[in-house]
Amino acid sequence: MSIPRHVMIIPRHVMILASAGSGKTYALTNHFVKLLAHGARPERIVALTFTRKAAGEFFDEILNKLAGAARDAGRARTLASEIGQPQLGTADFLKMLRAVTEAMHRLRLGTLDSFFARIARAFPLELGLTGEFGILQEHAARLERQRVLRRMFTQTGETDGAQKEFIEAFKRATFGAEEKRLGKLLDGFLDQHQEIYLAAPDKEFWGNPARIWPGGNPWLGARSDPKLAVRALRSWFSGAEIGDKQRERWGAFLLALERWTPGATPPRELAYVLEKALAAWRELVAGRAGLEFDRKKQELDGPACAALADLVRQVVGGELARRLETTRGIFDVLRGYEAFYHDAVRRAGKLTFADVQRLLTPDGGGARPLTRDAEAVDRLYIDYRLDAEIDHWLLDEFQDTSFGQWSVLRNLIDEAVQDASGARSFFCVGDVKQAIYTTWREGDPRLFREIFNHYNAAMPGAIEEKQLVSSWRSGPALIEMVNAVFGQRVALAALFPGGAAENWNREWRDHVSAVPSRTGQAAWLQAADENARWALVLKLLQEIQPLAHGLTCAVLVQKNETAAELADFLRREGGLPAVAESDLHVGIDNPLGAALLALLQAAAHPGDTLAGEHLRMTPLGALLTGEKLDGPEALTGRVLGQIHAEGFERTIEAWLKKLEPRLAPGDAFSRKRARQFAAAAGMFDQTGSRDIAEFVQFMKLYKVRDTESATVIRVMTIHKAKGLGFDLVLLPDLEGRKLDQRREGLAVQKTPARSVEWVLDLPSEIFREHDPVLAAHVGAAEAEAGYEKLSLLYVAMTRAKRAMYVITEPVGASKSRNFPRVLADTLGANAGSVRVGALNLDGAWTSGDADWHTKLAAPAEPRQISQEIGLIKAEAAGRAPRRLARQPSAEKTGVMAAARVFALEGAVAADFGTAVHALLAEVEWVGQGGVEKFAEAWTMRGGAGEEALACLRAPELAAVWTRPDRAEVWRERAFEVVIDGAWVTGVFDRVVVERDQAGRAVRATVFDFKTDRVAGEADVAATVARHAGQLNLYRQVAAVLTGLDGAAVACELVLTRLRRLARVPRMSK
Amino acid sequence: MRIERTRTFAFVCLSVDSPPLTARRHFISWDRPLLPQAVAFLAGEWKGDGPLDLSTLLVVVPTQQSGRRLREALAEHAAARGQAAFPPRVFTPDRLITQGLGPDVAARLESLLAWTEILRALDLEAFRDVFPVDPPARDFNWALRLAREFTHLQAVLAEAGLRLADVNGKTGESFCEAARWQQLGELERRHAEKLAALGLRDAQAAKIAAAKNPSPLANVGKIILLATPDPLPLALDVIAVHARTLTLEVVIFAPPSEADAFDGWGRPLPPGWEHRALVLPEFEQRVHLCADPAAQAERIVAVAQGYGSPEGLLGVGVADHEVLPLLENALIRAGLAAYNPAGRARLDDGLYPLLASLAALAREPSFAAVEALARCPDFLAFLQARLGREFSAARWLEGLDELHARHLPADLSTARAQAVKLKKYPGLMPALAAIDELCATLANDEFSAGVSAALGMIFGNRQLDLVRAGDARLEDSATAWMEILRECAAAGARFPGPAKIAWWDLALQLFGESLRNEDKPAGALELQGVLELLFEDAPHLAVAGFNDGAVPDSVAGDPFLPESIREKLGLKTNAARFARDAYVLQALAACRAQGGRIDLLFGKTSAAGDPLRPSRLLLRCADAELPARIAFLFRAPEQAQANPSWTRAWRLTPRHVAAPGPVAVTALRRWLECPFRFYLRQVLGLAAVDPAKNELDARDFGALCHAALEAMGHEAALRDCTDAAVLRQFLLAELERHTRACYGEALSLPLIIQLESARQRLARAAEVQASERAAGWVIEQVEKKISVEIGGLLVKGKIDRIDRHAETGAVRVLDYKTSDSPASPRDTHLHAPRQGETPPVWAVFELDGRSRAWTDLQLPLYRHALAAEFPGAVACGYFNLPKAVGGTGLALWDEYTPELHAAAVRCAEGVCAAIRAGEFWPPNEQVRTDYDEFASLFHQGVAASVAWEEAKP
Ligand code: SF4
Repeated sequence: MSIPRHVMIIPRHVMILASAGSGKTYALTNHFVKLLAHGARPERIVALTFTRKAAGEFFDEILNKLAGAARDAGRARTLASEIGQPQLGTADFLKMLRAVTEAMHRLRLGTLDSFFARIARAFPLELGLTGEFGILQEHAARLERQRVLRRMFTQTGETDGAQKEFIEAFKRATFGAEEKRLGKLLDGFLDQHQEIYLAAPDKEFWGNPARIWPGGNPWLGARSDPKLAVRALRSWFSGAEIGDKQRERWGAFLLALERWTPGATPPRELAYVLEKALAAWRELVAGRAGLEFDRKKQELDGPACAALADLVRQVVGGELARRLETTRGIFDVLRGYEAFYHDAVRRAGKLTFADVQRLLTPDGGGARPLTRDAEAVDRLYIDYRLDAEIDHWLLDEFQDTSFGQWSVLRNLIDEAVQDASGARSFFCVGDVKQAIYTTWREGDPRLFREIFNHYNAAMPGAIEEKQLVSSWRSGPALIEMVNAVFGQRVALAALFPGGAAENWNREWRDHVSAVPSRTGQAAWLQAADENARWALVLKLLQEIQPLAHGLTCAVLVQKNETAAELADFLRREGGLPAVAESDLHVGIDNPLGAALLALLQAAAHPGDTLAGEHLRMTPLGALLTGEKLDGPEALTGRVLGQIHAEGFERTIEAWLKKLEPRLAPGDAFSRKRARQFAAAAGMFDQTGSRDIAEFVQFMKLYKVRDTESATVIRVMTIHKAKGLGFDLVLLPDLEGRKLDQRREGLAVQKTPARSVEWVLDLPSEIFREHDPVLAAHVGAAEAEAGYEKLSLLYVAMTRAKRAMYVITEPVGASKSRNFPRVLADTLGANAGSVRVGALNLDGAWTSGDADWHTKLAAPAEPRQISQEIGLIKAEAAGRAPRRLARQPSAEKTGVMAAARVFALEGAVAADFGTAVHALLAEVEWVGQGGVEKFAEAWTMRGGAGEEALACLRAPELAAVWTRPDRAEVWRERAFEVVIDGAWVTGVFDRVVVERDQAGRAVRATVFDFKTDRVAGEADVAATVARHAGQLNLYRQVAAVLTGLDGAAVACELVLTRLRRLARVPRMSK
Repeated sequence: MRIERTRTFAFVCLSVDSPPLTARRHFISWDRPLLPQAVAFLAGEWKGDGPLDLSTLLVVVPTQQSGRRLREALAEHAAARGQAAFPPRVFTPDRLITQGLGPDVAARLESLLAWTEILRALDLEAFRDVFPVDPPARDFNWALRLAREFTHLQAVLAEAGLRLADVNGKTGESFCEAARWQQLGELERRHAEKLAALGLRDAQAAKIAAAKNPSPLANVGKIILLATPDPLPLALDVIAVHARTLTLEVVIFAPPSEADAFDGWGRPLPPGWEHRALVLPEFEQRVHLCADPAAQAERIVAVAQGYGSPEGLLGVGVADHEVLPLLENALIRAGLAAYNPAGRARLDDGLYPLLASLAALAREPSFAAVEALARCPDFLAFLQARLGREFSAARWLEGLDELHARHLPADLSTARAQAVKLKKYPGLMPALAAIDELCATLANDEFSAGVSAALGMIFGNRQLDLVRAGDARLEDSATAWMEILRECAAAGARFPGPAKIAWWDLALQLFGESLRNEDKPAGALELQGVLELLFEDAPHLAVAGFNDGAVPDSVAGDPFLPESIREKLGLKTNAARFARDAYVLQALAACRAQGGRIDLLFGKTSAAGDPLRPSRLLLRCADAELPARIAFLFRAPEQAQANPSWTRAWRLTPRHVAAPGPVAVTALRRWLECPFRFYLRQVLGLAAVDPAKNELDARDFGALCHAALEAMGHEAALRDCTDAAVLRQFLLAELERHTRACYGEALSLPLIIQLESARQRLARAAEVQASERAAGWVIEQVEKKISVEIGGLLVKGKIDRIDRHAETGAVRVLDYKTSDSPASPRDTHLHAPRQGETPPVWAVFELDGRSRAWTDLQLPLYRHALAAEFPGAVACGYFNLPKAVGGTGLALWDEYTPELHAAAVRCAEGVCAAIRAGEFWPPNEQVRTDYDEFASLFHQGVAASVAWEEAKP
């Protein structure tokens, strides 16, 4: 294996800009080892990244790196020199390895999210939490949202203040377009706006013109009677010397104007004139303007100009005012929902990771900053609570760090950077060219530079910057293509007019391949349409045969759905082992799951004829008929009963077992789905809910990520491929329209310090184009979007190690500014032919060796580790004895009225019973006048004492307490015995064993105290029946212990309430 | 048998609390399993000539399951000689300290309530070190959550005999949280005071006090601390006191040569185990890396299946609780019985959901609570008993759904008021009345009495046959619940504060977290915790979940008791846990070295995909071996099976039934859209129930608007009205009346908003109507029923409205449309066939030189039906009431020509003939999933999902 050599000198704080494949993780793990070599204790180093998987791999890599250097002198030498400590040898690395393994449980290598959650757990009361909290994963969070909405929606009664306000807000938020489907609307609202609300939960920021236009907005506030202006304009154009077509335009304009309400997209007729008027605004205001309609100029006189200007002002002003109001309405709606949600979910201890981060973000009113300084005031001191003394900070994927995340860590890192002792350090690594999470997770690539400048401004040279541009992943052919696309400063600048290309070009350095001998091919191929692109993917895979050559292979696409479809296509059409690494809705994406859900639905909702008939159309139909469950009554009874008694998982398992024989023998897929379905049901059971509707909902939302494995062709999104490398990469899904499309939804303007400045429901394009503030906002948003898209393409094109085939449709005359356009403008659009092995394909660009795949060495056999767990030989080892356990007291028989159990006073409280038992156990024998011995003590013991005493005094019970000759008594005597092959364990209340003169037992009586309320003879009989099993087992036990025959052992219930005995007859076996 | 009796020790012990000098340590060698040796040790000289009587011994074992094992082994031992045993008293350390605390000790419930009272009344300003910020709301739930936290804290400290107030005394000078603990101590003092005022003692305080002065053990001559490597410190205090008068023997499962590795109590000494290399022979064959918990479960199941009947041969340990449920289910799936000796939380009991829905009902008699209760089997049984043979659970649920769909009742009383109207479901009324009665019962009395009465009502007629498993389980659950209820009743007298619903929350919580101990099924594999494994004697042992954090478990970051302070307080530390588990692992491996086998499984990730690490114990090897171990343990897990490709389990076989009688005009549209869906909907009559419905759907909404408009048409006084205000007033009043009639007085949020939307639309419609009348159009008929025979099929419909012009006499047919955006008749009736779409020839015709196909036939058929009554030309169109009020108005079909009409009739004939001929295939594949009411039936293509031809009779 070749190892990159970054020679490190020892600056304390390092920032690494690492291009794709240049060994980001390698640099990070080396840094970790370097810190160890300098004597840092492993538990004092924190290394944070974004995905759990990355964190896990990071740890494995450190250990394997140290283990390698500990047993191989050559590797030790390399590592030693890489970390700038050439004197170190295998023994030193072994020592470090030991230190790391011993501190394993205290290491802090993980995700930012889990690190934050850990901090929050340590400071609940400081953060306004109450005790433990759980983290809500995505589908759980959705379910919570639905619950909250349902609760909001089913509240009635006097419409209280809050509710009225909500309704008003809702009206304002949906002006002019009253919605029928409130649930759907709100759900959409929340998807789009909830995070924005939480970032700026103050109305001040929402739709506030003073914040948006601090200098005032000329359109707002103008009010006059439109009728006058309309009349003036109409009289002008009916008289003016203009063509019919123009006159028609004016007429249509006025008609459209009358019908239009602000907030709606202006119809064509309105927009046409509006556009012209705005373009000539200055002249219009001046009172003399020429407007060109359909290439014919028309001169407007003073009154016409004034009238038109007036109308335009009203339209634009009306639109802006409406948008402002809508924005505030949206805020109020969100606030209404949030109040509910907060109460029902967060306060019940269910937080999302985003909630946790928000809790920790210091922002004036909120949390206090974190510190390691025990003396600091108004700070949260972390060392003690976290059992940690963190000296060294390693941050991975820094370009994806959001400003919010940085704010939480900032004070701690400030302390490390400013630490005078020199014992602390800060290290971050990332690639601003791979910032593909800016819109999704608020990743903030600008932070990189800002932080660097910030610290270095205070302390010049505080942080050292390093650029890593040699790729240890990609061979030369690939690097050539990457440079040819992304190093084209001029072409990129033309494609991305905003700041996007500028930012890109500033950070760009040409890449080099650090593995020049890695042969391969990079090419841009073309296919006519989607079908052809997919077919080409299959063709290439069949030609190259990556898996047979032991190559890893990935096909990267833009969306999860595409991944699923394409993987299925490859499996179906090519019989290839392709796996979509996307989230699968395993509960509903197949007939089996759908039928199970129908089963539950039909049982819970017998009126659901769709579900009922659905069942009948599946093999379940015959099954139900077979079990006489084809009527709704029977089905409902059975399934509801099962679910309540056993939970969903067991119920599902039971049905699956019956269905199993109906699946085709080779149908591994449905069997796998069956297991996944049951596992999901198990997860749902843990919520304790038995609500079928909720379960069905849960299963519809439930998603599973297909497991990855190297021996398959992996189809995944580019986003998921980030951080991964494959020998062969295919990119067949790069079509699209506009690269710099800003995200839909509310416009959120942020200050340089990333706090929200204003929020606005943007008016449609025609209005914002003519407002400098809004136009600037949109421009910046588009630049950001463009940069992110460029990053996405970069990530896609830097995954390959040996070969990459980019497949797009021909660019041709298309004007779309999309990825193919970027390729065409950088690589050149010379349609031609590209050879890949035996294939001659349409293509425009290629480099490398078209026969690379035929020259590969045979793959090494992987070390096989046996997965089998061997068995031992039963005869040799001997089976440990195990028996069925029986407890006489649990041997319940007979029938009882359920109402008895549920009576509050009816049954005797268990502790009363225990107390009576305990007292009676004190009694060995009661001789003449012996009762009084107990009386004194027992009368102090309340009801139990009285009852016990009464039992001693009752003449009917005298036999219990009177000692026969040579009798022995066992009181509260435990026993263990084997009877009929079962292990019987229990405790006798009282047994009297009579013996003959030789000491042999001749007779025994088992007395069992029953303190329950017994009413009348019938009840006595029932009680005897109920305990017959128990007492007869006692009889057998006593027989074994005394060596008597069962017939010589009598069993008596001592009914303490009735103060009488009830004999339990011997049961035949 | 080799039991070494070693000399009485003067221990060199790290902890101050070493056992008394008289204690003896015995070593039971770990070259064979513990259990048989321990039994032989206890039985001593017993000859088998009478019962094996060990009743004067007190044996302390690590866990309940260990005790169970020991007693079983004693029974076995005695039985081998035809005898039975009087066993020793077998205690866990915990039992030792909770033993006989007396009746004045506060129950958990009381302790929690005392905390909540204190916390709610607290002046937080005086406790700023505990509560640096004000909580968002100081309600009962807040207090209860904190109360649980504090109760837990007290319990943890009590393990070492400490109270909150004792902490500062142990932490030394410069303790950074001294002020906080001082305040916590004060809180605890108030808590104790509160309890004292009620005549109660705090349970932890009572334990600590009792440990200093335990009540004497009657009839016990000797205490044996048996293979208990991790006893609670407080339990040792108890033993130490007893040992002043009784003999104490400490039995350690280890060879005597290991004596120095244990303290006098038999606890492994951390220094001895921290760096020791554990002997784990054939490491790479015995330690197994698995991808995740499910993979671990599968491997263990495979071993168990390998044995056929594994009981007694295979012992199973589960260190990671995440693996437990998966393993349990995997075993059951494989047809093997499993048993979890730890018991199962009562949250899983069948009684729980019934109680939870009663609680919901008590909180608020919402309709959702009614629906939840309605599906509890016990409640259904109650209705059955109460309403007699007439009652049908299925009909009742169906009626309830119907009630929900039609009237969206928000609560029980609205539901009852509306149920009267659903004549089809006579069972609804009495069943709802029963629920109302339950509500009243719950509301009437104080909490416990109310609940008990309500349950008495529900179960009043049930007989429990205890031989039947289900009934026995119910009896068991019910007993446990009633126990809690009685506790609540008692506590209620002492704590009058909490509201009824707070009692519900408390009681349900206590019930849900209490454990049910099930009987071990015959032949079941026991799934045991690691500490219990010392007493497992099966020759083959497999332990799953051998990951760091599970073995040893470790605490990291605690809001009150971080590791550093634990150490100072003498609580269990990570180092002590490590030593204990290292010892246990060594002992488990050693005793199976000959003839046995131990396998350790660990996961690479958790079920949720979080990366996991192998237990640190697995790295306890000689340094020279470490790099190889790392490579072995930290490799990537072996390839999982490649994922099978999507396969259809089966195709649906729909019933084939004869075409129906008359069809609705509007249904023809469905056939044109998709004949197969038409079949499902119109012929088979399939319709789904949406239990989540909480607002009007498009049809409900349309019906409300229609009703008002219809009323307007009927109203003679408005015939000639051209005053928009009058019309508006009328329409809004009608709307209001219909809404209230259908949805009751108390409307829920979405209904209020939707009603508002309807109002806006109708208000605008009034203006349109006024101007239409002013233009001469008079409403002539409304809701006119029509029926025509087409192609041998009777087609029926209802025309919203027919207008006639006062002057010209012209006639027009109008249909009200309340869809979101205004509809144009032409666009709704016709479409240009898409590429690849091949409609039947009779559905296609040429219009302006382009090919057009019919989507809908509504308006043409109206005209067709009216042809006799109105022979002249009849105009047709829509009266649109869309969501943007600007779009309200008439949309007439202007270019409606006779040719068009003829084409429409031809198409209608085609459709009707097709329906009559049973032509419902092929389906339309283009329907968007989110608009397809039958989407749940289809996967990867509609035609591919259905075996239509094959299912033909
Ligand atoms: S109120 Fe409306 S929905 Fe309810 S029964 Fe009457 S007509 Fe039907």
